[in-house]
Amino acid sequence: MTHYLLRRLLAMPFLLLGVVTMAFLLGNFVKGDPLASLLTDRQMDNPMVVAAVKARWGLDKPIPQRYAIYIRNLAQGDLGVSFRTKRPVLRDLLDRLPATLELVLCAMTFGSLVGTALGVAAAHWRNRLADHGARLVALIGSSVPVFWSGLIALYVFSVQFSWLPGPGRLDPALRPPETVTGFYTIDALIAGDWVIFQNALAHLVLPSVMLGWAVLGIISRMVRATMLDVMQEDYIITAKAKGAGTLRVLLRHALRNAMVPALTIIGFSFAYLITGAILTETVFSWPGVGSYAVDAARSLDHPAIIGVTIVGALAFLLANLLTDIAYVFANPRIRLE
Amino acid sequence: MKPGIRTSSKSRNALRYMALAAAAALPLSLPSGALAQSDTIVIARDTDFNTLDPSRSWCDTCQIYLTAVYEQLVRVGTDNESIVPRLATDWSVSADGLTYTFNLDPKAVFSDGSPVEAKDVAFSLMRLKNLKGGASFLAEGIDAADTPNAQTVVVTLSAPDPEFLGKASAPYGAIMNSDVVAEHGAKAGADADSTDQGEAWLLENSAGSGAYVLDSYRPDDELRLVVNPNYYRTAPDASTIVMREAQDAVSQMQMLQSGGADIAMQVDPDTARSTTAEGVTTELVPSYNFIYVALSPGAKGLEVPLTPKIREAIGLAIDYEGILEFTTGGAADLIASPIPTGFPGTSGLPMPVQDVAKAKALLAEAGSPNGFSMVAAYPETNIYGVDLSTMMQKIQQDLSKVGVQLQLEPVTFAVWRERVGGDHIPMTAVYFAPDFYGSGQYVGYFGMVPGVPWYNRAGGDDADGLANAKMQELMEAVRTVAPADAPGLYNQMALEMIKDRVIIPLINPKLVLAYRNGITGVRNAVCCNLPLEELSKN
Amino acid sequence: MINAHRLRLSTAIFKGAALPVTLGLAVIALWVFTMLTIPLWPLDAPLDMVGRRLQPPSAAHWFGTDALGRDVLSRTLHGAQFSIPIAIVVVFAAVIIGGALGAISGFFGGLIGAAIMRLVDVTLAFPPILLAMAVAASLGPGLENAAIAMVVVWWPLYARLVRAQVLEVREREHVEAAVAAGAGPMRVLCLHILPLCWTPVLVNATMDFGQVVLLAASLSFIGLGATPPTPEWGAMIADGAKHFYHWWIAFGPGMAIFAVVVGFNFVGDGLRDLLDPRTE
Repeated sequence: MTHYLLRRLLAMPFLLLGVVTMAFLLGNFVKGDPLASLLTDRQMDNPMVVAAVKARWGLDKPIPQRYAIYIRNLAQGDLGVSFRTKRPVLRDLLDRLPATLELVLCAMTFGSLVGTALGVAAAHWRNRLADHGARLVALIGSSVPVFWSGLIALYVFSVQFSWLPGPGRLDPALRPPETVTGFYTIDALIAGDWVIFQNALAHLVLPSVMLGWAVLGIISRMVRATMLDVMQEDYIITAKAKGAGTLRVLLRHALRNAMVPALTIIGFSFAYLITGAILTETVFSWPGVGSYAVDAARSLDHPAIIGVTIVGALAFLLANLLTDIAYVFANPRIRLE
Repeated sequence: MKPGIRTSSKSRNALRYMALAAAAALPLSLPSGALAQSDTIVIARDTDFNTLDPSRSWCDTCQIYLTAVYEQLVRVGTDNESIVPRLATDWSVSADGLTYTFNLDPKAVFSDGSPVEAKDVAFSLMRLKNLKGGASFLAEGIDAADTPNAQTVVVTLSAPDPEFLGKASAPYGAIMNSDVVAEHGAKAGADADSTDQGEAWLLENSAGSGAYVLDSYRPDDELRLVVNPNYYRTAPDASTIVMREAQDAVSQMQMLQSGGADIAMQVDPDTARSTTAEGVTTELVPSYNFIYVALSPGAKGLEVPLTPKIREAIGLAIDYEGILEFTTGGAADLIASPIPTGFPGTSGLPMPVQDVAKAKALLAEAGSPNGFSMVAAYPETNIYGVDLSTMMQKIQQDLSKVGVQLQLEPVTFAVWRERVGGDHIPMTAVYFAPDFYGSGQYVGYFGMVPGVPWYNRAGGDDADGLANAKMQELMEAVRTVAPADAPGLYNQMALEMIKDRVIIPLINPKLVLAYRNGITGVRNAVCCNLPLEELSKN
Repeated sequence: MINAHRLRLSTAIFKGAALPVTLGLAVIALWVFTMLTIPLWPLDAPLDMVGRRLQPPSAAHWFGTDALGRDVLSRTLHGAQFSIPIAIVVVFAAVIIGGALGAISGFFGGLIGAAIMRLVDVTLAFPPILLAMAVAASLGPGLENAAIAMVVVWWPLYARLVRAQVLEVREREHVEAAVAAGAGPMRVLCLHILPLCWTPVLVNATMDFGQVVLLAASLSFIGLGATPPTPEWGAMIADGAKHFYHWWIAFGPGMAIFAVVVGFNFVGDGLRDLLDPRTE
């Protein structure tokens, strides 16, 4: 097992290089005028201006040279300057990361808590209404396009009934709290501003629920499966025979043991969350990395496309690696091999 | 009996309590106005900033920012037509039209208190020219800017340009505090395009003499302006202005309704109509923007050459009134020529009409009685309330009635630019907004004369007879004619452009001004898009 | 006692699984039928203006009309002609390309096999939607380009799957017997190994149909897939978002996507239950 993990870790740098190269190629062999976001309509026929723009952004050099420059800069932590915002891509990403993290964590929390509860209920009332109900909820979560459900939710809850606020992280009239973590909720609490905290939390509700719904499905199914396995075990039957209450049996004995393999699902959920985050941020005007990626793709902002793809791949790789490690530890059979 | 697992009511109750507690703690939408300060105005807009550096900027939102934070030598007045003094109190032009002498207002100071001097003007104008950014063409004609003394600037042009003052009034003619920006790496010399490093600082700071100063800028999120403490004119009413990013009309309207925004800038007529908004005023005002289709006789891959007859036939097949209805629900006007109605030279021009029978006849005369098919590629965008895809689909329907089958290809701007400049596109659609008040920018962009952008894009040199000699004569004549005679010449040029039928303007959309009751000063101004210092809130 | 439990579990699952599978198959069959026969239906033309713009659902137009006065119901049903074939094409292409490469890698191994696996690793390192977006952005708009982007994203999964299967089946006795009998490598691969690999591929493929439909709609929603006036579901939802207060424009296509994906999910789920009951 340690062999396996060691091999995985050693392969990482090569994998990263492969990822960077693929991202670079995708970002540079793009159909369309690469100067589109850098040159205005009015000036595109002016050769002097075109030459100046190309020189400024290094687009007058051949691709291999650009690749070498890119790798060299990357080693120093420089992801280039966005064609669109004119700021360093790394800075853009770091600015937006907290927004996405806050959303993803809330979605994960929602998905995990409700998913676990549903999974437990489904296992407990197996093949009865609760089980079928949980299955249905899970199914809806993984079948409904999140950009559609988000729109519907916005329309129903924000426009029709005004129960929840509209898109964005905060009401525009409010000033975001002093940046400590970048999470509006935590920063508001640190600053002691209850109003902003409530407002930020309210804005998190809809996008987190919509985003977390897909994850909810996976987790509930996984918890159900592992609970069913665990509930056959002798120590459960013993506990019940000793007269322990249902909740106690479920939570203290069964769930505790069922959770460990269920943790492996976290990495898998991560893929859903990244996908969903990009679309959710678009629908809810959430200024995170996801909407940045969409803006970059739409405006052919090469450095940003490459930068986001690399960072996304990195996060993905990390999540998968952690999942594999967790899986190995959780599954004693493999551990002993 | 099954091994008893009695369902516990405790677990069910616990869940119920948790749900109730959660609902109680759940905050609702903010009641409007509960937290908005009385003198902070929030504007919802799809901010299309390409940068905040005046010498590099080029975008609609940039115009708003640049006129709020910087000042120009002159400005277009509230009548949206005449040039009025701003930083220059008066000016004189030499007889040959090559030398402009501006006298600066001695009272003018920058936001840090230092006086606005001739060297700042010279620096700013030359930097605009030499950085070769989006608006550099406005200053391209400037040979030199001399500063005989601190209050006088002498600008020498390489050729007479009757629209120079109009260009100087453009927001991009912003005058910066040269000492401050030079300190942070800005350069104005001839090699500035490769040595200037000032943009990074200008993305976070402003160095102007306008009513506001830049407080903070977060791309795709918000731009925050606060009042200039050293403003030498009457202070504006609103002490803080926030421009909030809201990408579409619907979110903007929602923000307006909930009190989250005081002004929404891109609400389209449909959305305005379908929302019953109490506390919100929506007004339709005319604008100078227009959307047009362009035919390129020199495009590659044409099934049938786009001869003047065929172009005229296409023009006659279009249901102009129908397009206005389809795309804006009628909140737009027809437009006669590629010069917006209201600009010099546009009085008395004939509006386009649809004549399907004549279109068919012309097509038959031109040898294509059964029509033909043609590629129509255009940038997929929604601009000034008009969805180009919707418009093109309507045109597709119109043209199919005379047998012309359009293959619609919506593309991204980047792809569009490459195609329109490269192989050229048989039929395309795009928009134009004025850079300043003057008709010269239109003839210099749309006229069928070698060297003009649309002549090139129409494949001018590859298509016989596209060059319009009369147009070229008129363009040269207007440079040296007396100002009073210019509109007459522009009128003739407009007629030539109509005759060329390469540029077919379709929609002159009205602008929806949407704002909460109690906000005053909202108007569409040619000078600045939206003059922020005129806004106030009750 | 444990075994009896498990057996009872399996039968219960089989019975329980039959209903969703039937439902799923019915839904999919309905959509395929729609897709194939729709030119014959008495519907308004999906590309023509047939009513007033932006009208709410009514007797004349059950799903209302959109911004160009087109019937939303008609467009929704016609959308099946785009979304379902795309899904089928993408999954088949991914299975064939990925499967072939995976089989080569698993059976022949060596440098080529390793290279293929490295490519698989690198491709799988990207979050699928980001990769699809990047490829679609570089190829340009259009449903065909979106399809290519999706194949690029999907083939590695099947390569891995088939490779793992090939590695396992390769060790079985009848394969060794065939090799000993002198059968050539291609014959062994195609006649003896691959036929035993289809189970997980089938299960994955059925689940993936639904995922491809979702991804295609997502790409079109962002603007990187179908182009107007194509009545593709994702593009229609994007249209609906533009005219948010006219909720019916997005409603039809959204329900359609949901129905199709649910159908495929049910079938895939059921298949998995049937073919590998222990996972339940």
